[in-house]
Amino acid sequence: MKNYFQKSTSAAPLAVFRIIFGLLIFGSIVRFWAKGWIYDLYIKPKYFFSFYGFEFVKPLNDYTYILFIVCALSALLVAAGLFYRFAIVSLFISFSYIELMDKSTYLNHYYFVSMICMLLIFLPAHAYFSLDAYRNRKLASDSIPRWNVDVLKLFVCFVYVFAGLAKINSDWLLHAQPLRIWLPAKNDLPIIGSLFNHVWVAYVFSWVACVYDISIPFFLMKRSTRTWAFSAVVVFHLLTALLFPIGMFPYIMIATALIFFPGEFHESILRKIGSWIHVSEEFLLPRRQFHYSRISSTLIVSIFAIFFAIQLALPFRHLMYPGELFWTEQGYRFSWRVMLVEKAGYAQFTVRDAVGKHILVDNTKFLTPLQEKMMATQPDMILQYAHMLREYYEKDGFQSPEVYVDSYVALNGRLGKPLIDPNTDLATKKDSFDNKPWVLTFNDEIKGL
Amino acid sequence: MKFFRVVFVGIVACICGCGGSGSDPSPADNSKDRQEMLIHWADNIIIPSYDNFKVKFDIMLSESEEFTSSPSNESLTAFRTAWVEAYAEWQKVELFEFGPADRYTLRNFFNIYPADVAGIETNILDPLANLEVPNSYPRQGFPALDYLINGVASDDAGIIEYYTTGDDAPERIAYVSKLVGRMNTLITNVITEWKGSYKDTFTSSTGLDIGSSTGIVVNAYVLNYERYIRSGKIGIPGGIVAGVSGTAYPDKVEAYFKKDISKLLAKNAEDATASFFNGVNVTTEAEGPSFKSYLDALGAKDSSTGTLLSEIINDQFSVVDSKLNLLSSNFYEEILNNNQAMEDTYTEMQKAVRLLKVDMTSAMSVTITYTDNDGD
Repeated sequence: MKNYFQKSTSAAPLAVFRIIFGLLIFGSIVRFWAKGWIYDLYIKPKYFFSFYGFEFVKPLNDYTYILFIVCALSALLVAAGLFYRFAIVSLFISFSYIELMDKSTYLNHYYFVSMICMLLIFLPAHAYFSLDAYRNRKLASDSIPRWNVDVLKLFVCFVYVFAGLAKINSDWLLHAQPLRIWLPAKNDLPIIGSLFNHVWVAYVFSWVACVYDISIPFFLMKRSTRTWAFSAVVVFHLLTALLFPIGMFPYIMIATALIFFPGEFHESILRKIGSWIHVSEEFLLPRRQFHYSRISSTLIVSIFAIFFAIQLALPFRHLMYPGELFWTEQGYRFSWRVMLVEKAGYAQFTVRDAVGKHILVDNTKFLTPLQEKMMATQPDMILQYAHMLREYYEKDGFQSPEVYVDSYVALNGRLGKPLIDPNTDLATKKDSFDNKPWVLTFNDEIKGL
Repeated sequence: MKFFRVVFVGIVACICGCGGSGSDPSPADNSKDRQEMLIHWADNIIIPSYDNFKVKFDIMLSESEEFTSSPSNESLTAFRTAWVEAYAEWQKVELFEFGPADRYTLRNFFNIYPADVAGIETNILDPLANLEVPNSYPRQGFPALDYLINGVASDDAGIIEYYTTGDDAPERIAYVSKLVGRMNTLITNVITEWKGSYKDTFTSSTGLDIGSSTGIVVNAYVLNYERYIRSGKIGIPGGIVAGVSGTAYPDKVEAYFKKDISKLLAKNAEDATASFFNGVNVTTEAEGPSFKSYLDALGAKDSSTGTLLSEIINDQFSVVDSKLNLLSSNFYEEILNNNQAMEDTYTEMQKAVRLLKVDMTSAMSVTITYTDNDGD
């Protein structure tokens, strides 16, 4: 083991990863802005759904644009490897801040990006082929500790394997849900569209996706299967890009998979780029090895150990809660459960007080369509919204308002049913990580992990 | 590679196993072809419905001209009859608030009630009054005409007097003409667009994403049922949507001044909703490609009982219909005398809303939203 931590490897894979990752984040932010989503998602809404414990993270009105500028510039600096340590910390903080502003925009791949940024803070991704290395020849190294690259590989393995394990459930494998609902929606695509009218296609997709997720990192690791595995990565993710509205995620995953290729592969890429921009041979081959000081090495390895321990535990935390995970969503986020549910809901709130005043809440008055949609199927957001309503109607002349919800949720092709006990006054319920007993039982079983 | 082989065999075995159960309807027919459905909607439901409405509207238009040129008992009665018929027919097109109707926000100018009586009186005296702004919506359309031909006086003699004597009589006459003329322009524009380039736009957008034709139809359809039928016709006047216990708002019923047609209007709207669900051809009355046939083709059903979702929805429409049948033709009186019947109707409509808004959209993979964003 000690031996392992002494091993070194080419610095090129990490450098290429840094460049592509930085550029992709930059592209994502530009795309996000261009689509008007900064305004739609973070400025226009009147209320926001904070993450538990992160209530202080709020959009900053018009300054939210500055936050995105900071994030985009940090991403560019990371790509260029200029002021790297500062830039990667700033990228991690600004990106994570953005993702924490409103739960309704939570996506697993944003979380993935945040976590990668966090790992990169501790890695010498700027030691090679960076402006920092260009300016500071003492930093320039073409060799780095091997575990620096392996942590990224390990994290990618975690993501894929957990995503695959989560697919081992009866809805996904035995009923081809939710793909069997989603695929026919694409039956008007040219050439392949008519395939999606067939249920067996949904089964094939479900099984292939499950096997793909669980096995792909291992095929990427093996030299003999790597090229084929990477082609599979490209085809798989481009297909998902074609079929589902998942934004930049496919491209990020394709780029990330490059980390599994050996040093020579990345060196040849950088050599090519180097010849375009006429950099010196010394810059390309500084013949130096990057070393952590003994103390920072120990510290970082410990931090990573804790990080991976947490990563290993988070996807299983739902086991501490009773009830069906897909239904209650207690322990659902941050666990690589991707595209597993087709869930639609409807939540009609009633606010009333002791004097007999009552109102059926028009959700569009408070929430954007996206927020309403996310809230209607997720108990913790229903509770947060109930508290917003309590405060609003208290100011609006209701005396100690009580908040009830008539909720109705359909999950993976099942007929809808109430999600929340309609007789529970949500105004009095506190948010916490404890089990929410006012979430009604699912009365069906989804077998699996 | 052995692993690969094992996995491959596993997959093949499973697919064969699943295929063998034979529980899935064969997709060999084109019942999942959304373009056929869009064409059927446009050619056999939407455009003929607008045409039917335009016929009734034109009669109302000419009767209104008759009335405004010589207000009399006879012309008032004829105008009123034509207004009722046109208003009743409007209920069969109000649900098509997408495409051209959405661009003109037709409903805003045709049927926002209760009418703003004070605003109408203000507008009468101001020939330049802006009829495009939101506060002008309840000062025009069918609800404003309701006030102008049924509500300005307690009897017909008084109403005719309102348009014949007094300083403001010419302005009042002018306002009636202005409103009817404006409605005519708007509905003509909408119909012209449907018969022009929009039909191709509509039928060629075959996806299910946000902004696709099926997507906007589903959204408009559900919104119409939830907000303009359930809440507008029943929930708000019945005091169910907001208020203090035991208080209702009978003055917020549709066609408040005419009063005895509120059930007729609600029934027509409910029937139009059910007919559209089943793809009933407006001319031949035969069912065609529709939400129903599409849901059936997808195999949407209650997995515990095997009942088709379309059947569950149609059953619920029948229940709502039976509740509506129990109501008086005059919702104003029903609310005053037996508001419980209104509440019962609302409850059943609410169940239909859930089925449409959650079960139907989820099975179809249509998002109820107007904001697009990535998912994962």
